[in-house]
Amino acid sequence: MNARRFNTADRESSTRLRRIVSLVLFSLLPATLTISVSSCSSRKNSPATSRTVSDELGRTVQVPAQPQRIVSLAPSITEILFALGVGDRVAGVTSYCDYPPAARQKTPVGDTLKPSVERIVALKADLVIISTASQVEASFRKLEELGIPVYVTNPRTIEGVVESIDKIGELIDARERALELTDELRRRITNVETRVAKASRPSVLVILGTEPLITAGAGSFINDLINRAGARSISAEEVADYPQYSIEAVVARQPEIILLQTGGNELIERLRQTAAARSNRVYHIDDDLLLRPGPRIVDGLEQLAAKFHPELFERDS
Amino acid sequence: MSLKELTHQIFSRERLTAQRLAITLAVLAIVLIAVSVFSIAVGSEHVGFTNVIRVIAAEITGHAADVSAEQRIIIADIRLPRVLMAVVVGAALAVAGSAYQALLRNPLADPGILGISSGAALGAISATIFAESLPISRPVAAFGGAVITIAVVYAVGQGRRESGTVRLILGGVIINALLSSIVIFLVTSVAGARQRNVISWLIGDLSGESRLLLPVAVFVLIGIGAVYVNARSLNLMMIGEQDALTLGVEARRVKIAVYLAASLLTGAAVAVSGAIGFVGLIIPHAVRLVGGSDNRLVVPASALVGGVFLMLADTIARTAVAPRELNIGVITSLIGAPVFVYLLRRTN
Repeated sequence: MNARRFNTADRESSTRLRRIVSLVLFSLLPATLTISVSSCSSRKNSPATSRTVSDELGRTVQVPAQPQRIVSLAPSITEILFALGVGDRVAGVTSYCDYPPAARQKTPVGDTLKPSVERIVALKADLVIISTASQVEASFRKLEELGIPVYVTNPRTIEGVVESIDKIGELIDARERALELTDELRRRITNVETRVAKASRPSVLVILGTEPLITAGAGSFINDLINRAGARSISAEEVADYPQYSIEAVVARQPEIILLQTGGNELIERLRQTAAARSNRVYHIDDDLLLRPGPRIVDGLEQLAAKFHPELFERDS
Repeated sequence: MSLKELTHQIFSRERLTAQRLAITLAVLAIVLIAVSVFSIAVGSEHVGFTNVIRVIAAEITGHAADVSAEQRIIIADIRLPRVLMAVVVGAALAVAGSAYQALLRNPLADPGILGISSGAALGAISATIFAESLPISRPVAAFGGAVITIAVVYAVGQGRRESGTVRLILGGVIINALLSSIVIFLVTSVAGARQRNVISWLIGDLSGESRLLLPVAVFVLIGIGAVYVNARSLNLMMIGEQDALTLGVEARRVKIAVYLAASLLTGAAVAVSGAIGFVGLIIPHAVRLVGGSDNRLVVPASALVGGVFLMLADTIARTAVAPRELNIGVITSLIGAPVFVYLLRRTN
């Protein structure tokens, strides 16, 4: 009897409590609703001073006729913009943009993975250029939502990098300088390719990480560079761009040349049974030249070719 | 009411009254609003406190605010949706934690430990990899992953006797390990740019698109509501399922409803922000240590405290090394652990 009365009283107070809480919870709903609806309405560029271009992913982007406040979200893009002589129109760069030295004087907008969208807005950017080589989708969707034009570059090969430079030249109204630069780059690429055309192709292991061993797969720039520099990568069939690789497989495939970043000497000790280590053909190379799809990638190509075929390039150095 | 009475009402673990509940929730709601305004006012760019108030007022009334276009965008289109997302995700994780803890009568229960977060993450990652073009495939797949995981964990952990909760936790730990491995396998086997997309989401990020805010907020409100209407039954079930049954609680129906609701909450939170640890574990505990373990208080108060907590954690994540951003999961653990130890020692 007693228990039952307690139960009923409890039920009553429970209904009251429930009513209060429901009120609090559901009063929050319209607030969220208003805000998400209102945040969808963002400003648009006036069409008079802008034009429509198609970026390297095939998206249509409306950009100013001559962008004046460009934010670069990749070190390679920053290098391209400075090489095109429009460094003064660069408003913001990532914290990894360290070349050319003048790029370090620009306002940083964060790293490539999570740039600060609000800083890009505060810089009044009229064009943001990003690269599939270093960006994620989420960050550019937010920028688009805010009405800031986002141009995406998607170079997959060294030839793609040169084309990218051409297109960026057009995009930022620096066509002539772009043409000059790409002619020069194409001439240098052809020069390397003709020299190595008839040479034998040594096998190469490129080491991008030592613990675990990370190498470059079929779709990576480095694979393309190695091919064009007159060699073949032992990991050229790997599907992933930067796969983890077994040391056993390396020893079994006996690379004649090993490319390495600074450090990693302990790993080389374990790979001493390879042809490369025995013939002392382990080379350190600046990975910025190999991993950044910008103009300096041709420097990387030339350096690789000189390491792979010293006999063909001796008179240059 | 004097301040002393007010604090007495809140810091009391005695029997819950409607008055105490109302006061506690009202105070927490005020704190939530104050912290939101603070969070919107700070960031990598200076916007000024009065401008925040002006822009928010303008958003609500529909008039134009007297601030620069950039400031308006930063406040209304970047920070406001992000802060609201933090509130929604924090509330979802905290209530999911409180629901699992009550259901399993185990203080260690939490979406992370039971493997539900991993299940949701696996669902969301599969959606990202295999069905990227579908608009809300990620939240739906995350919910599916959470529901399937809780069913599997439940099947693995089901003992003959009622003391199956230890087995349930154990089952969760094992399923969690398995699912985490599958997640890592999937992440390492996708190529290039897609891999970065997945990783950036996995490490937890609230800065995404605001178009997800509304559907996720609706999911979360439904989930919290569903747990809350079962709060009294959960109270009785915490004493024991047999006892609850004699008091007229349909234990089976309540269990299924609350499991589904908690999975919905976990799925929604994981879908937008990756796996953020610690919130589901510590927030309900903190609430119980301060206000007692009546679920009619624990559930709504956890929602509010969870929202405040995640909002503060995200504010630190985006300001500490601005303009770069930290991983929010790191911040939740760094703040959560010491606060929890303090609460535990103080009330001991």
